[in-house]
Amino acid sequence: MYPEDLRYTSEHEWARREGDSVRVGITHFAQDSLGDIVYVDIPGPGTAVNAGQPFGEVESTKSVSDLFSPVSGEIAERNGALEEAPELVNQDPYGEGWMVVIKPSNIGDVDALLSPSDYKALVEAQPGN
Amino acid sequence: MLELSPLDAQHRALGAKMGAFAGWDMPISYAGTVAEHTAVRERAGLFDVSHLGKVLVSGAGAEPFLDTQLTNRMADLALGRARYSLICNEDGGILDDLIVYVIAENELLVVPNAANRQAVFERLAAAAPASLDVRILDWTTLAVQGPRSRDIVEAMYPSVKGEGYMRVAREGDVVISRSGYTGEIGYEVFTPPELAVETWGRLLSAVGDAGGEPAGLAARDTLRLEMGYPLHGNDIDASTTPAEAGLMWAVRLEDRAFPGRDAIAGAAPTKTLVGLRMTDKLIPRHGYEVRAEGRSIGTITSGTFSPTLRIGIALAYVETGSAGEGDAGEVDVRGKTGHAVIVKPPFVDRSPK
Repeated sequence: MYPEDLRYTSEHEWARREGDSVRVGITHFAQDSLGDIVYVDIPGPGTAVNAGQPFGEVESTKSVSDLFSPVSGEIAERNGALEEAPELVNQDPYGEGWMVVIKPSNIGDVDALLSPSDYKALVEAQPGN
Repeated sequence: MLELSPLDAQHRALGAKMGAFAGWDMPISYAGTVAEHTAVRERAGLFDVSHLGKVLVSGAGAEPFLDTQLTNRMADLALGRARYSLICNEDGGILDDLIVYVIAENELLVVPNAANRQAVFERLAAAAPASLDVRILDWTTLAVQGPRSRDIVEAMYPSVKGEGYMRVAREGDVVISRSGYTGEIGYEVFTPPELAVETWGRLLSAVGDAGGEPAGLAARDTLRLEMGYPLHGNDIDASTTPAEAGLMWAVRLEDRAFPGRDAIAGAAPTKTLVGLRMTDKLIPRHGYEVRAEGRSIGTITSGTFSPTLRIGIALAYVETGSAGEGDAGEVDVRGKTGHAVIVKPPFVDRSPK
């Protein structure tokens, strides 16, 4: 539920450091709360993103939610597979359901995000949990 | 404080996601909306719709009384039949849409939307002559919907065998009607609350054996929207009229008097409810603006991703005459321009009949 090699945001994104890049997706809790994801709208490589600011959207049958960037920087890669198979986000949120790879302006920013235990505490404090 | 279904513990045991709907805490989904939706279209689904209102009008003359209150003709509604109707205010605005089931001689079960139960009850109770009894029932309503529902329900309730669309059967304290809100062949089963748990258990097991599954209110919403069925509170309300909503088929004006009759007979609609089928991947939602050739022509009242078509669909009011079937339209999807074509629902080729 809360992989140890990831960092998290209070908006339920995860971030995985891969060398000098960061892979980003939404957490198990986020995909479960949203329900069936039917559309993911994410910008392509070269787009500038800002920490804590929306950079894309995920839609379930019922609603639409913003995606918030964990760090500032530039998008290096987007998961094109989600165009045809947005359900990958539900099926494998920490794996094939990744959203973007960001080249952060400062790779150290990743370490400032929530730890697995901090994120777990945040989720467990949500109503209904 | 939310009202609870008598099946609340059953839903929680199944791991349902619960949510508030019209004052009730109801199952929104179980395995997932798309899977449940597909199960209903292809096999069978079981819904708890206990939140639906139940108002019993009983006594000699119940049919002629309802005939004076509802837009559809009720005077000739025979035992074992059900009929859809609207209930309007004097301006022709739609207070609710409902179904009337004749469940016994001189016993008419009126089923309004959950949010309108009290309003419909109060209106009927205030207008009813002293010879009639009008009361709210606490019955449970379960809906078995889908192409395999006929075999499931006929095996459990033999008296429904061969029952046609909008027909009503009764077995003891259980009322079984060939009706629903999904566009599939289906049944609605009304039971007193003390039979709810047992009936749910038996139906759930039979639905499971037939390859079906429990389905929540989120799937019920995507299913009804694929058929273009309006939802009161979204697509119809007191500010919309039957003509605007395309519901004149549920209005009989000839030789009748009911609240709103003269307003409905006299008015020409200025807005019309139409279907929109997206031609790109954007998903239309409630409240989004609809445009044609760059000009605003209306607003979306219900929109979703269609699990069957795998594209966005919506109902919208547009200025009457501004857009016809096959015309192109645009939807303002949070600042992005979505492209759509105007269609006449249903969006999918299904029929409950």
